[in-house]
Amino acid sequence: MAEMKDREGTIVSNVHVAKDIYKAVIAFDDLPEGIKGGQFVHIKLTDNSHVLRRPFCICDFDCKAKTVTVCYAVVGEGTKELAGYEKGTRVKAMLPLGNGFTPDESMKKIVLLGGGMGSAVLPAIPRAFGDREYVTYLGFANKDKVVLEEEMRELTGSVVVATDDGSYGRKGFVTNILAEDMAKLKPDVVFCCGPEVMYKALKKALEPFDVPVIVSLEARMGCGIGACLVCNCKIKLNGQEGYLRVCADGPVFRLDEVVL
Amino acid sequence: MSNLKVNIAGVEFKNPVITASGTFGFGKEYDRFYNIEELGGICTKGLTIKPRLGNPPPRIAESYGGMLNSVGLQNPGVEHYLETDDKDLAKRNVVVIANIAGSTLEDYIAIAEKMNEAQADMVELNISCPNVKAGGMAFGVLPQNVEKVTAAVKKVCNKPVITKLSPNVACIADNARGAEAGGADAISLINTLSGMAVNYKTRRPILFNNNGGMSGPAVKPVALKMVWDCYNAVKIPIIGLGGITKYTDVLEFMICGARAVQVGTHNFTEPCGARDIARDLAKYVEENNMDINDLVGTLILNG
Repeated sequence: MAEMKDREGTIVSNVHVAKDIYKAVIAFDDLPEGIKGGQFVHIKLTDNSHVLRRPFCICDFDCKAKTVTVCYAVVGEGTKELAGYEKGTRVKAMLPLGNGFTPDESMKKIVLLGGGMGSAVLPAIPRAFGDREYVTYLGFANKDKVVLEEEMRELTGSVVVATDDGSYGRKGFVTNILAEDMAKLKPDVVFCCGPEVMYKALKKALEPFDVPVIVSLEARMGCGIGACLVCNCKIKLNGQEGYLRVCADGPVFRLDEVVL
Repeated sequence: MSNLKVNIAGVEFKNPVITASGTFGFGKEYDRFYNIEELGGICTKGLTIKPRLGNPPPRIAESYGGMLNSVGLQNPGVEHYLETDDKDLAKRNVVVIANIAGSTLEDYIAIAEKMNEAQADMVELNISCPNVKAGGMAFGVLPQNVEKVTAAVKKVCNKPVITKLSPNVACIADNARGAEAGGADAISLINTLSGMAVNYKTRRPILFNNNGGMSGPAVKPVALKMVWDCYNAVKIPIIGLGGITKYTDVLEFMICGARAVQVGTHNFTEPCGARDIARDLAKYVEENNMDINDLVGTLILNG
């Protein structure tokens, strides 16, 4: 009857990869099948003073090794605690949650666009759908913040990195740089994850091109499964604005439906 | 012979564990994790006559050993509930308590009347939501208003009515008396404590609504004391809630006078938490060969 369960995993590694950014690999005895990029894992911290679980996008997964990777920035109490977990730490986690990125048959050439920590959503997309052609664009504030470049190169071959200050890769906002390359890229779809300001810029930058843009949203969450209605985002559907649940209806939405 | 069944206003619960309104939706989501029929009861998300959009996000913030929420009664409206979840839940072997809310006395009367069409077993009257501007809380503060709204609902509603009390009041025992005088079949307490979470960097409250309702294990001592105070003030049964995370918490609430309990925030920490509490409670009662009802109000004060 119950198709979902709370799982227990073991931290295999948890390493510092860039300024304030860590990458943790968690092994599960029974990693569920069918994980998609954009889905998330809802992790219970071991310190019981934290009553809320923390949602992290599944950065990458390995069906054979039965692991998922989360890549996260230390921004608050929860991520600070997580960064301190050593190899062997047991954590409870619900996964995979949310809808994830699902390219339909017509989407053969896909641009993966990451902004800052949002880049952590991308690797699992080509991992789940390996039979598509991908081009990756990653944007960061500066060279200290660059993450996942190598991982994406391995998975998708072509990676363009941009930094706002030009300290690494091409200089400028990655949204504008993608727009410059759009005519020659001609992708069927753009899959993007980044901060809200980036989505606003992206909407504008890609306006001249007739290409669907699918984005992943972030929100403070409670239950993580659609019951508590705290993680809502504003969505415009059929001309009407309303709230949808980031955890259960998303976190992946069409950009043209998201009210920014 | 051991017994875990409890009876509130003529409604029998297989065990005293009920999930709290607003933390469990209408049961569907958690039913994917375990059979919700293992619970004594479930209390629905707060329903209003018209659909409500709720407050803008962020609607949640964590505190030490607790959390704050400001959902603002987002719900699809009572009509939608009657056509969908009410029907689905009626097929399940679990007591269903429909939580209802309003902004005006007329709202409360209208929805209470509408609930007569529902298959839900009981109605919980939410007069203590801290997250809606009009009404809600206004009916929950003064004892005479608690009495007034309870009496108005009782007059039109043919289901047992549980009045849910706010802790953000001068004397909760007086409000319990108000509910009893208004004809409530039971009371439940405590709703969330009014609170605020602040971001020192932005100097802004984390919740868009600025204020929110605090819940979670940190509030348990407040809730226990209030349950005891109400137990000594009224004869109607009490459903206790506030920070329950384990079966021993349930025992404590019952010793303080609760006939049943609700589990709320803990559902977020542990998706199977309410079920596990019910299971652990069953084990305890069996091991001690006891009737759980014998615990109610058995607190022995010191000195």
